[in-house]
Amino acid sequence: MHSLQSRLLLAASLVLAGFLGATGLALDKAFRVSAEAAVQDRLQSYIYALLASADEAENGRMLPPRQLPEPRFSKPDSGLYAVISKHDQQPLWQSSSLAGRNFEPTTQQPPGERHFSRFALAGMQLYALDFGVAWGDDSGTETLYTFTVAEDTAVFQAEIDSFRTTLWRWLGGMAVVLLLAQGAILRWGLRPLRTVTADLQQIEKGGSDRLDGDYPRELAGLTSSLNSLIEHSKVVQSRYRNSLDDLAHSLKTPLAILQSSCVDSKDAADDSHAIVSEQVDRMDEIIHHQLQRAAVSGRSTLAKPVAVGRVVERLLRSLDKVYRDKQPRVKQRLDTSASFTGDEADLTEILGNLLENAYKYCSHTVQVQVSSRQHGGVEISIEDDGPGIAADQVDTVLQRGTRMDESIPGQGIGLSMANEIIGVYGGQLTFAASPLGGTLLRVVL
Amino acid sequence: MHILVVEDEAQLREQLRERLRAAGHAVDVAADGEEGLYYGKEYPLDLAIIDIGLPKLSGIELIRQLRAHDRHFPILILTARGNWQDKVDGLESGADDYLVKPFRFEELEARLNALLRRASGWSKPVLDCGPISLDTGKQSITVTGKPVDLTAFEYKVLEYLMLHAGEVISKTELTDNLYEQDYDRDSNVLEVFIGRLRRKLDPDNTLTPIETLRGRGYRFRLDASNG
Repeated sequence: MHSLQSRLLLAASLVLAGFLGATGLALDKAFRVSAEAAVQDRLQSYIYALLASADEAENGRMLPPRQLPEPRFSKPDSGLYAVISKHDQQPLWQSSSLAGRNFEPTTQQPPGERHFSRFALAGMQLYALDFGVAWGDDSGTETLYTFTVAEDTAVFQAEIDSFRTTLWRWLGGMAVVLLLAQGAILRWGLRPLRTVTADLQQIEKGGSDRLDGDYPRELAGLTSSLNSLIEHSKVVQSRYRNSLDDLAHSLKTPLAILQSSCVDSKDAADDSHAIVSEQVDRMDEIIHHQLQRAAVSGRSTLAKPVAVGRVVERLLRSLDKVYRDKQPRVKQRLDTSASFTGDEADLTEILGNLLENAYKYCSHTVQVQVSSRQHGGVEISIEDDGPGIAADQVDTVLQRGTRMDESIPGQGIGLSMANEIIGVYGGQLTFAASPLGGTLLRVVL
Repeated sequence: MHILVVEDEAQLREQLRERLRAAGHAVDVAADGEEGLYYGKEYPLDLAIIDIGLPKLSGIELIRQLRAHDRHFPILILTARGNWQDKVDGLESGADDYLVKPFRFEELEARLNALLRRASGWSKPVLDCGPISLDTGKQSITVTGKPVDLTAFEYKVLEYLMLHAGEVISKTELTDNLYEQDYDRDSNVLEVFIGRLRRKLDPDNTLTPIETLRGRGYRFRLDASNG
């Protein structure tokens, strides 16, 4: 449940289902009660009709009705049945619709009382109404009877079913309409959030520098905070770089003076000059390495993607200028869509070191290839036709300059520096033999 | 050669001035970007060494403005950070090479010589004119394969003439590029050096590589056989 929209939709749907369900049940119950009352009334009216059509014997005693008020009483298995029973005796009369089946009144009722019940008879569900009657004969003796009329529930059930069908159809239709309305409201209500997400992606893709949309009040605080965060991180980054520049300048210039004073006085035939000069080189290497390391900013989320091809082209132009005497032949295959999410200075540093290595050690040819990787990221291959690096030397090359107590002259620090920055970005630098004859450096970022 | 050094650190600036002068160049120095721009615009220079981190006008901006004013002499940048962003920015603004501080003077000199030679249209470090061959890397001379021993100043004079082989070089241009501005131009020191050079290169007076054009200057007469 990671989406606000589906959360809201799920919760609202559950509430809606509960509410509509309860409504349906209440309506169903109410209809059932009133339908049963109607059945009871109908049965009562049959009883009255039977009573009215009952015959009287000469002595005034009751005889079973001959003319039945409802033809269904005479039709076998019609679903409407009647029994007249004298209290404490066998039934006096049964309607012919019973077709030989027997049933007793469920309860004997005193005169004027009624009892409504539901029972089963020979696989049928029946509603029955017992009604007590006192019949006075000529001699003034009252005889107690119970009239029972029963009707198959099928009719009632059919009414209930048709009501239910209609009821649930309507409720279902309403549920669908409400859900659709709810979905539309949610989409509309959450649209500003989607806009912010899209705008953030735009920033990550490099299309924009800040969140510029017209956001609702509830989001304005968030978006303006994000904007100032982006701004702040840029300012901090550039201030940090500037102070590193200042530091480099103020450390390196004295070293440069020291270095050149040592050479000035080498005629003094003093060993200490050689020692000072050597130590200046070491200090320089340490400062260079540590400052470069400090300057690596690493991957930041809202960094603009950098077009790798463009950085490579700039570096190649610069290196062509510097290596004008050597003029290596440079073959390039640059995928212009390949981009690197990170700091441009870091990428320039990585590729500058690797490309210069290739220019320096190639005999005639340098080959550069930049391509996008299928699942994001970029792959850069740099090859040369120089002497190459032996497999057992790779670690030594990459370790160069990383240990401060090492006193290896300042050459070749570039590859280890590049490797370190690549590491900060979680990328990989691999060495292989190039088909051109020299080294093939492959960078995955 | 006439070289401008723009560096804000006084001690380093003075060291560079001393050493370049000792190597036979005429050197002007500037302590900030604006002063550098003034020298660059007003004086005929063969090369400039410019520090990237300058007060008033940054090194990058200085180079950009010099190039915008059609100053095409080679420029070497000095960078303290030595990161590629700086190097690329510098080279794109119009510099020709870079050097990371601290550097050894020998390295600086090698870069300067390469830049000067390229600026004169020589793509190889060895200049061959007939039997005379000058190696700008080793700063050595051979005539028909035999090494000739020259002083630093004689070498500079010959290098300048050979870099501009076939062109007429006035005395003023030659002194401008070999001495500072306030040098006494009336002295005939230059004629003495040219005379010595002729004797060392051509003791039998058969080649006559350097001709004197009355009232106009000197010309290195032998054509470049490579470059």
